[in-house]
Amino acid sequence: MKSIALAGNPNTGKTSLFNMLTKSYEYVGNWTGVTVEKKIGKLKSGDAELIDLPGIYSLNPLSKDEGISINYLMNESPSTIINIVDGSLLERNLNLTIQLLEYGKPLLIGLNMVDIAKSRGIRIDQKKLARLLGVPVVPIIARTGSGCDEILEQLGQSASSSTFQIDYGEIIEEAISEIDDRLDADLPYHHRWLAIQFLEGNHVVKDKLSAWIPEKDLNEMYNRTEKKIKDTGESHTLPSYIYKVRNERIKSIIGEAVYVESKSATNWTEKIDRVLLNRFLGIPLFLAVMYLVFQFTFDWLGSPISDQLDGFLSGPASDGLTWLLTFCGASSFIKSVVLEGIISGVGGVLVFVPQIFILFFFISWLEDSGYMARIALLMDRLMSSVGLNGKAFIPMIIGFGCNVPGIMAARTIEHPKERLLTILLSPLMSCSARLTVYALFAAAFFNSHQSLIVLSLYVLSIVTALLLAKLFSSTFLKHEDQSAFVIELPPYRVPQWRILLRSTWEKGKGFVRKAGTFIFGGSVVIWLLSYAGPSGFDVEMNQSFLAIIGNAIALLFDPIGFGNWQAGASLLTGFLAKEVVVSTMNIIYMTPDDTALQGVLGQYFTSLQAYSFMAFTLLYVPCLATVAVIKKETMSKKWTWFSIVYALVIAYVISLVIYQGGRLLGFH
Amino acid sequence: MTLSELEKGLQARIIDLSNISPLVRRRLLDLGILEGSIIRLIHRLPLRGAFALEVNHQEFGLRYAEAKRIEVEVV
Repeated sequence: MKSIALAGNPNTGKTSLFNMLTKSYEYVGNWTGVTVEKKIGKLKSGDAELIDLPGIYSLNPLSKDEGISINYLMNESPSTIINIVDGSLLERNLNLTIQLLEYGKPLLIGLNMVDIAKSRGIRIDQKKLARLLGVPVVPIIARTGSGCDEILEQLGQSASSSTFQIDYGEIIEEAISEIDDRLDADLPYHHRWLAIQFLEGNHVVKDKLSAWIPEKDLNEMYNRTEKKIKDTGESHTLPSYIYKVRNERIKSIIGEAVYVESKSATNWTEKIDRVLLNRFLGIPLFLAVMYLVFQFTFDWLGSPISDQLDGFLSGPASDGLTWLLTFCGASSFIKSVVLEGIISGVGGVLVFVPQIFILFFFISWLEDSGYMARIALLMDRLMSSVGLNGKAFIPMIIGFGCNVPGIMAARTIEHPKERLLTILLSPLMSCSARLTVYALFAAAFFNSHQSLIVLSLYVLSIVTALLLAKLFSSTFLKHEDQSAFVIELPPYRVPQWRILLRSTWEKGKGFVRKAGTFIFGGSVVIWLLSYAGPSGFDVEMNQSFLAIIGNAIALLFDPIGFGNWQAGASLLTGFLAKEVVVSTMNIIYMTPDDTALQGVLGQYFTSLQAYSFMAFTLLYVPCLATVAVIKKETMSKKWTWFSIVYALVIAYVISLVIYQGGRLLGFH
Repeated sequence: MTLSELEKGLQARIIDLSNISPLVRRRLLDLGILEGSIIRLIHRLPLRGAFALEVNHQEFGLRYAEAKRIEVEVV
């Protein structure tokens, strides 16, 4: 099958277009680095696959996600490249376009954000642009899908390879032909493109070239050419010289194809930033936004809906199921599995779907509006003081939804040690699965201050992460070299309902799916462990295997306030997924729904013990899926184990301080 | 003068970028920012926090430590 690659600058709408051109759905947002891995989908017209590459400014990679694009171009051979160009930032975008043209494959330009350009008084003559670049230019609005049909139509026609060339001047052209002469004629690459990329300092291309030309010769050639350029006094380095020549050509293209009318439209983005980035109001406003999000998720909207759902599941739904099972003549064993195992375990988790979806809705809104990049900017001062980078705050906020995509988002951080630090600390962020535990305990013990108690846990997770960042970065993850922090601040836009709802569903469906598979299976196993014991089946709960396992570790939990076997067993099974803690408790305490469970919990926990338990659940260990992604992203067993062990230690220490400290202060 | 001394709302031309780290220089180049670019300060966060700047209608953020190493002249 033909493969078509989608390439362009970060945040130009590649993924939006990808979603429009294929039947799949991928994650979109309004900040640099939403896509950190290439994604493959099938074209709507059915005859080719489309590959969505992470956004790049240039083919020369700086961070890990950028390396994916150049590696793709080096190792695979797309039949066509669609290059999305942001019409409002044409000069910068064309820098990549020219490198892609030099790659020598058929190219199609999707000219996006023409509306933003127009509002700034920039009019682009697309026919002229197409003629100057020698490739078709299709105006599109990726967010609404306008222009997609024409792209599909253009892709259907046979395209000829790009023949665009820039004369880089005598010195560079000489070096290009020197490389050309030493390469075999039948290589699957454009020699000229390889040579230019090499001279621009692209190390991926250099590694490839060293298979045919000894590295020593390459270095000699590079230094000799750079010296010649230096001697002319035009530039200090080869890359900056090539950039300059290319930029002159871009300027002349723009001079011919773009008309600028002096039009002073209101710059809303700057007006909004004047408030949101205000030196005194910036951080308080961010905290206020987060507080409102939690108010909606819990007190105002989420909890009332969850209560309704809980009432329905424990009332009509389970009554109906009981009737149905009796009607079918099910044995008492089957009845127990379904009613005490599955209904309690799965139902206990499903009840929190409204709250989780509301939280995801707001996270999607933050992502799509453009505020996310501002949060990174606001937080950079604080983050740099603990050895992190403002950009590390984005993985952390995404981690509030789920730690797995949060850890993946750390790929945009350029500095390797800062990236590792972000990966190690992201699991401390309180994800939506942990929310089920808070929602349960907060409603049972702190009914009048639910969102405040939950907010305090979120603050605890951030403060712990920052303190540990300081500790790690000033000991074994110390780095002397300068870190880089340059972040694009995209224009604000009003999020579209369609995109928000879709993105909320995409994030939340994993939770629902987990309830149907993982938690379903887990509930049956946990129920069986509670049903069976050394003396046979249908034993007293206290004599069951689950109680024996729970008792074995309960002693350890005594100093932190919950030395009962039920807590031990719940935490142990919670490693699978944190919401399993709630499922297990529902099964152990044999409660039909969460309201009843809240009542029972009061007999086993005091308020202080409950808070200590919530803090421990928050921190104690990344869930199974998170451990797997840490392993994948760090490619190191050592760091994976480290992430588990340090979390256990810190959770124990903090719960100990909360419980013992609380008792000294007279709480109970 | 350096970029860190620029007053809010004023424009300046970048004269020298050679003192910043290569990583940051490369990122700025990616955004089309080089010697000769006209830069405007939009915001300055407190306690030597980050700067919000604008070049060619695009906003971006930079650290105080980097801004201190960028030589500019007011235009």
